[in-house]
Amino acid sequence: MKEEKQQHKTHQKKHSGPKAERKKRKRQQEQQAGTNEEDGRKRNPKAFTVHSAVRMARTFHRTQDLKTKKHHAPIVDRSPQEPPPFLVVVVGPPRVGKSTLIRCLIKNFTKQKLTEINGPVTIVSGKKRRLTFIECGNDISTMIDLGKVADLVLMLIDASFGFEMETFEFLNICQVHGFPKIMGVLTHLDSFKNNKQLRKTKKRLKHRFWTEVYQGAKLFYLSGMVHGEYQNQEIRNLGRFISVMKFRPLVWQTSHPYVLADRMEELTDPEAVRLNVKCDRKISLYGYLRGAHLKNKSQIHIPGVGDFTVSDLSFLPDPCPLPEEQKKRALNEKERLLYAPMSGVGGLVYDKDAVYIDLGGSHAQEEPRPSAELVQSLISTHSTIDAKMAVSKVSLFSGSVALQSDELQDEEPCQENPKEETIWDPEKGRVRRRAMFADDNQEEDEDDSEEESDDDDEENEDEDDMSEEEYEVDKDNDKEVSDAEDCGPLKRRKLKQDVEIDEALAFADSNDELEKSEQESSDDDDDSILGKEDVCKNKRQIAVRDSGHCTDEELQISDEEHNNLMKQAKVSITKSESSENKDDEEMCFETAGALHWKEGLAKKAAEAFFRQQQTAPNLRKLVYGKVMDDEEEKAEEEELGGLFHVSRPKAQMRCRANGIDCSRYPVDIERDWDCEEVLDSIRDCFVTGNWDKNEDAAKLLQEDDELYGDFEDLETGEVYQGDTDKDKDQSDQEDTGGDEDEKEEEEKEKAEKNERLDKKKRLKEKFDLEYDEGESTYFDDLKGEMQRQAQLNRTEFENVDDETRVQYEGFRPGMYVRIEIESVPCEFISNFDPNYPIILGGLGNQEGSIGYLQMRVKKHRWYQRILKTRDPLILSLGWRRFQTIPLYYVEDHNGRQRLLKYTPQHMHCGAAIWGPITPQGTGFLAIQSLAGGKAGFRIAATGVVLDLNKSVTIVKKLKLIGFPYKIYKNTAFVKGMFNSILEVAKFEGAILRTVSGIRGQIKKALHTPGAFRASFEDRLLMSDVVFLRSWFPVSVPQFYNPVTSLLQPVGGKDKWTGMRTVGQLRHDLQVNLPHNKDSLYKPIIRKMRHFNPLHIPKDLQRMLPFKSKPKLQEKKGNVPKNLQRPAVIKEPHERKIASLLVALSTVHNYKKKAAKAKHHDQRKGFFRQKQGEEADKMKRQKEARKKIYKIIGQKEKKRQKSSLKGSGHKE
Amino acid sequence: MASNILSYEGCNFLRQRLILAILSGRPVKIRQIRSRDDNPGLREFEASLIRLLDKVTNGTRIEINETGTTLYFQPGLLYGGQVEHDCCPERSIGYYLEVLIALAPFMKNSLKATLKGVTNDQQDPSVDALKATSIPLMKMFGIDGEGLDLKIIKRGMPPGGGGEVIFTSPVRRSLKPVQFTDPGKIKRIRGVAYSVRVSPQIANRMVDSARSILNKFIPDIYIYTDHMKGANSGKSPGFGLTLVAEMTNGSFLSSEMASNPQGQGSPILPEDLGKNCAKILLEEIYRGGCVDSINQSLALLYMTLGQQDVSKVLLGPLSPYSIEFLRHLRNFFQVMFKIETQQPEEERKGGEKVLMTCVGTGFTNLSKTIK
Repeated sequence: MKEEKQQHKTHQKKHSGPKAERKKRKRQQEQQAGTNEEDGRKRNPKAFTVHSAVRMARTFHRTQDLKTKKHHAPIVDRSPQEPPPFLVVVVGPPRVGKSTLIRCLIKNFTKQKLTEINGPVTIVSGKKRRLTFIECGNDISTMIDLGKVADLVLMLIDASFGFEMETFEFLNICQVHGFPKIMGVLTHLDSFKNNKQLRKTKKRLKHRFWTEVYQGAKLFYLSGMVHGEYQNQEIRNLGRFISVMKFRPLVWQTSHPYVLADRMEELTDPEAVRLNVKCDRKISLYGYLRGAHLKNKSQIHIPGVGDFTVSDLSFLPDPCPLPEEQKKRALNEKERLLYAPMSGVGGLVYDKDAVYIDLGGSHAQEEPRPSAELVQSLISTHSTIDAKMAVSKVSLFSGSVALQSDELQDEEPCQENPKEETIWDPEKGRVRRRAMFADDNQEEDEDDSEEESDDDDEENEDEDDMSEEEYEVDKDNDKEVSDAEDCGPLKRRKLKQDVEIDEALAFADSNDELEKSEQESSDDDDDSILGKEDVCKNKRQIAVRDSGHCTDEELQISDEEHNNLMKQAKVSITKSESSENKDDEEMCFETAGALHWKEGLAKKAAEAFFRQQQTAPNLRKLVYGKVMDDEEEKAEEEELGGLFHVSRPKAQMRCRANGIDCSRYPVDIERDWDCEEVLDSIRDCFVTGNWDKNEDAAKLLQEDDELYGDFEDLETGEVYQGDTDKDKDQSDQEDTGGDEDEKEEEEKEKAEKNERLDKKKRLKEKFDLEYDEGESTYFDDLKGEMQRQAQLNRTEFENVDDETRVQYEGFRPGMYVRIEIESVPCEFISNFDPNYPIILGGLGNQEGSIGYLQMRVKKHRWYQRILKTRDPLILSLGWRRFQTIPLYYVEDHNGRQRLLKYTPQHMHCGAAIWGPITPQGTGFLAIQSLAGGKAGFRIAATGVVLDLNKSVTIVKKLKLIGFPYKIYKNTAFVKGMFNSILEVAKFEGAILRTVSGIRGQIKKALHTPGAFRASFEDRLLMSDVVFLRSWFPVSVPQFYNPVTSLLQPVGGKDKWTGMRTVGQLRHDLQVNLPHNKDSLYKPIIRKMRHFNPLHIPKDLQRMLPFKSKPKLQEKKGNVPKNLQRPAVIKEPHERKIASLLVALSTVHNYKKKAAKAKHHDQRKGFFRQKQGEEADKMKRQKEARKKIYKIIGQKEKKRQKSSLKGSGHKE
Repeated sequence: MASNILSYEGCNFLRQRLILAILSGRPVKIRQIRSRDDNPGLREFEASLIRLLDKVTNGTRIEINETGTTLYFQPGLLYGGQVEHDCCPERSIGYYLEVLIALAPFMKNSLKATLKGVTNDQQDPSVDALKATSIPLMKMFGIDGEGLDLKIIKRGMPPGGGGEVIFTSPVRRSLKPVQFTDPGKIKRIRGVAYSVRVSPQIANRMVDSARSILNKFIPDIYIYTDHMKGANSGKSPGFGLTLVAEMTNGSFLSSEMASNPQGQGSPILPEDLGKNCAKILLEEIYRGGCVDSINQSLALLYMTLGQQDVSKVLLGPLSPYSIEFLRHLRNFFQVMFKIETQQPEEERKGGEKVLMTCVGTGFTNLSKTIK
């Protein structure tokens, strides 16, 4: 975007009033107290010194860090001088007030009222800005398409209902395809009866919106409706915001050309259509070119239709141009243009070979028209364009947009649903998908009056930003609206019939008084408009201008006349080339008046021809041939006859066609390089030759000498002087003459002064060069380079006329272009619906081809299911929407890409698809189906393209199993893994593993096909299963199916179905899942295990210790009867004795036990006593010992002391 | 996808067509290749070129009819990597190398190509000339760094061949636009006088004769003598001279001559060869411009493939090869150059120059992986 320098009003200091006095007082106080900074520095120098070098270094480091963080990688500014209209997309769930908002905004900007809006509407909103409004339907394809081209998104939210899923879906779409500016607009605020409730809702919605867009994103409140429209003041605020907004350049948009078509025409030969209704069509689409340069014959993609090649591309005069002269005033009525051909509003339409004037046509009668008086009044106030508007579809009083008061009743209490709730809205007849969040209900109790006031402040500030002019306009606007309203809708019905009659008469007979007056006024305006548009190239246009209020016949006649004239002109300038001819004609039309355009035609043409001959190099013609005349030549050939064509043998071409392909440029003219003159011809190409004046060393040296001539050689002490002569002269003169003329003196002085100044300047420059430039960083250099490049880009082709310029650099963004496309499916025409946007997205060089794409993908966290490999998925990537079959994979640590069956739940994974080649780094989003699936959040996954290729290397794990059929020590013969010897040979040396974990290796194939010898680290069991783990490359299905939603019948454009998933197919065909019997769960039945007896060899038995020896004694069997002893049976007496004995022994035992317990207690007591005594004894002994040792120690010490003393004495 | 096949006739400019087809991703069909010739169809060296292109790309589809008179080429993505190729000795390595130089910066992996065959012949630009002129030109467009190199391992003269060169090039995502309108003045002349399987004295004789002419202009002349022996000398005897004039602003002009192949034509004296080569260099200097005549097309290609910015280059008179290349550029990329002739203001600065201006197509290297 071009940086527009805003003119700010300078601050005006108050000289009187309370504020000024306050300031004065303060200053006085400061002076008295001496508290300004200068004084502070003097008073307290310590406070301003460096305390810590480390700290200072750190702060310096930090500031530098912050500074560098602000740097963005500089890019060349390629934004067009005159940008195309900014695209404002109005989005929201159904019945939220999108159309009403657009209508109000259009009315706000252009003072015109559109009743029916189809397709994009372009308006001039300010002196430097145009806007295109388009409404986005709720079809997800439309949302995706518009999300890619939008500059600004107005996101409408029904406050009475809350957020709906569409809003979040659109936000996610925007996020993926670059994030355009987004502004939220809350509507239906008048449905809140309770003020507190309203405030709470506002706050809740705002915070939710902020988390989704960014903190502090602008949210507008449209508080209510007045006569079916939003309140003027609020709309005006919104309009101001839009008209001063700065838009961010998005990567995809700036690197690709694109056109949002605002007009479509079919050019198919009617005969072909008659013969075959379903034949492919040829269409032309019109619109502003945006983004990058578009070239003829380049590839484009129309989302919803398919890929095409531009068969012809031409630019047309801007139908909605910006005002030409930039005066310091608001736009006047004439400049507030409106262009919406799909809605039937366009005024004059310039086509390639015709000019269309919207006369109202058949639908003019249908429209409710104001009465004759009203028309008169309108005509007197409005311009022609406006008059035409009136003819077409402007109605001043429309009660058509009625606010449905009953809407407001269907408010339902909020529920704590986690994500979405679908609500059937009986009034609106649709299911609304409310988006709910857990945090929605929080913070409701908080008082948010603060927030509210903040917002108000912001708005006020914004208002201040606006220029005063706009205020004026707004005032005007208000007045008019009120006027119009005064007229009231009461009159309307009565007047309607009259108008109809008038209309009919007017068009039947152009001599009608009323019509005449209207036409005249319109003619005047026509002229003025045409005069402004200096690119008028059309023949008919002249005719229109000439003949004033002409009927159709007249128009035709004048046309013929014109053609005749043209022919004459052609004859007169036979030699000049037709292109020039054309140019010249154009020139004439531009400059000359109504009829004397043909006066100097021949002369001018001749002049132009010679001029071109002189200036235009023949080299271009040599290289590119006669680019401009291609069409002409064709025409000539046709003229020669439908039967015969003149075929000129292109002799040169033919002989060259099979020549030798060599890049060397052989020397054809041999110059005599021994000749001195010839040698001289290149003498200056060498450094030894003469240099240019500004780079000749000798000259530069001389100049420098003048400057820096004075110096002293320090070694020798010599003093050199640059131009000493002058000084000497001067001094001489001074000495000799006081009598010389003063004038001369003065002159000389002046000259000297100038010289000195020059010198100083150059010195200063040099100094600056040395010291200032030294600080320029790499970043600055880079930025400067980019700026230089941008400047060059701007200026290089500035003076070239558009016709040629377009050939060099392509059609530049901002142009209104007409794009012809051939072989478009007939459904595009037959099922055309202007409410669906037609976008022509230009494709880069290789973006037309198909290949494998590897992408990083993540299932959207709000999408409720995981995605399955090989389930068809609809992707929106680049300009395209298409269905494809992805394979998901993860990359292992060794770089192996392993297939996944499903996407991970909360993790990125890779996906490989067969699809259109799109640059890496492009974002995409995935949807599972366009039709039907309304449940939940529709965006299934998002991601980014990582790599493009023509082959993929995704593998899946494959375990081959085999069974040993012969086992030697560590070698086993395995069968069942392969089928032939060849297969085995391929896997020789492969690593094997058994279920029990024994590792091994394939050695060699055996004779039996498929069997092989393998060696293992341990002996196998016959029951072991041998595995071979291998990786099997998976092929990505080559399925690429562009979503052709625009070809669907009207009303069914959102019901496109492509390939169905297997699950869907099963569901639709009512086929059950195929069961693998083996996979079914069955009750587990375990066989009893039978163990064989342990057999120990006899030798081993003998050596075993007795404990481990098997006990060979047989168990005692039943004692034979003869050995059994008889049982003893006691007598009663004996039994008595025995029982007594038992009783006695029991008593005895008890006594013994009690005695033992007693004895134990006694012993315990005794031990305790003894222990106490022992402890006492020990204590005593210890103390005694202590005492003794003390004494001994003292003695010892004494002894030592004395011995020391003694020895000292002795010595 | 839309059928946007470009169709051409005849075998001339095959390399241009294939290069541009690969870079633009458009399939190309070439018909009537030597259809009237006694030996119709593609020659061995062209087949070898196509094979080389198949090696450096991934997913290329090539269809050639039975007689070899029709070629359908559907390009894949440039892959690069390590490539080894035996070039047909009918044409020298320069023929193949020019193609690789044009494609190398736009590959997926950086290219390391080992080309075997004839290094120097009379027809194509030799590897010496390409090394001296094309490599610095690539650097102008931002294709620099460590990887960019052209190494001559062995020399091979026609008809036997047996030479070997290694060309390595880094990959770039996009090229820089250039404004290269002032060539400066020639500051030094360098050169290589090579001889294989002949007397080493021959090289010195060529050097002396060349110097005798060039010394009239500039004293800073150094011509290396390069006598290769044994295994490095290829299969056939021959000798030749390559001269390069270096300008103050970093552009290079070259000229070269080689001896007649063994057994063809009359033997040429090294003195004559040296003189003629020096005269050709003077002729090249007379033509002038910032880019050598053999590299015109390369410069034009890189300008076209730049970002969407204005590039300018001053050239000498356009060679027929570059004129055809300009036409092809228009067909493949819809790029038209603004061509202005410039008459040098001073008498003694050679002939007419041509200022070429274009807006790049905003080409980005799609194959290069970003991770």
